[in-house]
Amino acid sequence: MTKEEKITEIDEITTNNKETNMLISEEIYMTSGAHIGTRQKTADIKEFIYKVRNDGLYIIDVKKTDEKIKTAAKFISKYNPEDILAVSIRQYGQKPVKKMGELTGIRILDGRFRPGSLTNPNAKGFFEPSLLVVTDPLADQQALHEAENIGIPVIGLCDTNNETKYLDVVIPTNNKGRRALALIYWLLTREILKQQGKIKKYDDFKPTVEEFEAEI
Amino acid sequence: MKKAEKCISCGKGLLERGSTTFKCPNCEEIIGRCNNCREQSVKYICIKCGLIGP
Repeated sequence: MTKEEKITEIDEITTNNKETNMLISEEIYMTSGAHIGTRQKTADIKEFIYKVRNDGLYIIDVKKTDEKIKTAAKFISKYNPEDILAVSIRQYGQKPVKKMGELTGIRILDGRFRPGSLTNPNAKGFFEPSLLVVTDPLADQQALHEAENIGIPVIGLCDTNNETKYLDVVIPTNNKGRRALALIYWLLTREILKQQGKIKKYDDFKPTVEEFEAEI
Repeated sequence: MKKAEKCISCGKGLLERGSTTFKCPNCEEIIGRCNNCREQSVKYICIKCGLIGP
């Protein structure tokens, strides 16, 4: 499939979704695996679970994911992009976060999070953000802990095995899948740019989901 | 941004470490959350627009 065909396909899907009021169709969420959770379930994430599959995997309600992406984008657009920090220790989350940073101007920290980055003024690369975005609250717990210490709000992508401790906006999604993370960050970026007024229509957003995907 | 004085969920004063203040994503209402409510993931509801979080 060429790039143009992909763009046309996304445009068609976006048009079809005007009726359902979702950012993209449920099928796209399904094909990227954004709805697939883990075999564990926490009490915090219970309300976002749709059902349990026969093999024991918990399935996330994509309508709630969609709603929360909209809320998170509105929340992010209230801040200056340079005052926001997005972190991802997870390898599959690093490229999507980097791409989001490039397009929106949000600061990013991919790879190892050096302790003290948010709390120690003498540390190398010290930065005091106003809002933190974490890809996995369990993996990025150092960043989360430092955000708690400096008292800033946190947005987190949560799987079914995550707790929502110290998170102020939760996006329930599969935060382990390569394609799922790419889709979620692609949607988030598009929605942030729309909220900020940098794009007027969804069609104006040219990058594809594939560009957000990390290499295997 | 003006700092909230009380936690929106429990009404406790926001003096301790771990508490936070932010604007409601849907409206301009200022929401404050205390350390305890954040740690226990207690739900908050915006008094102006009815947004439920986290």
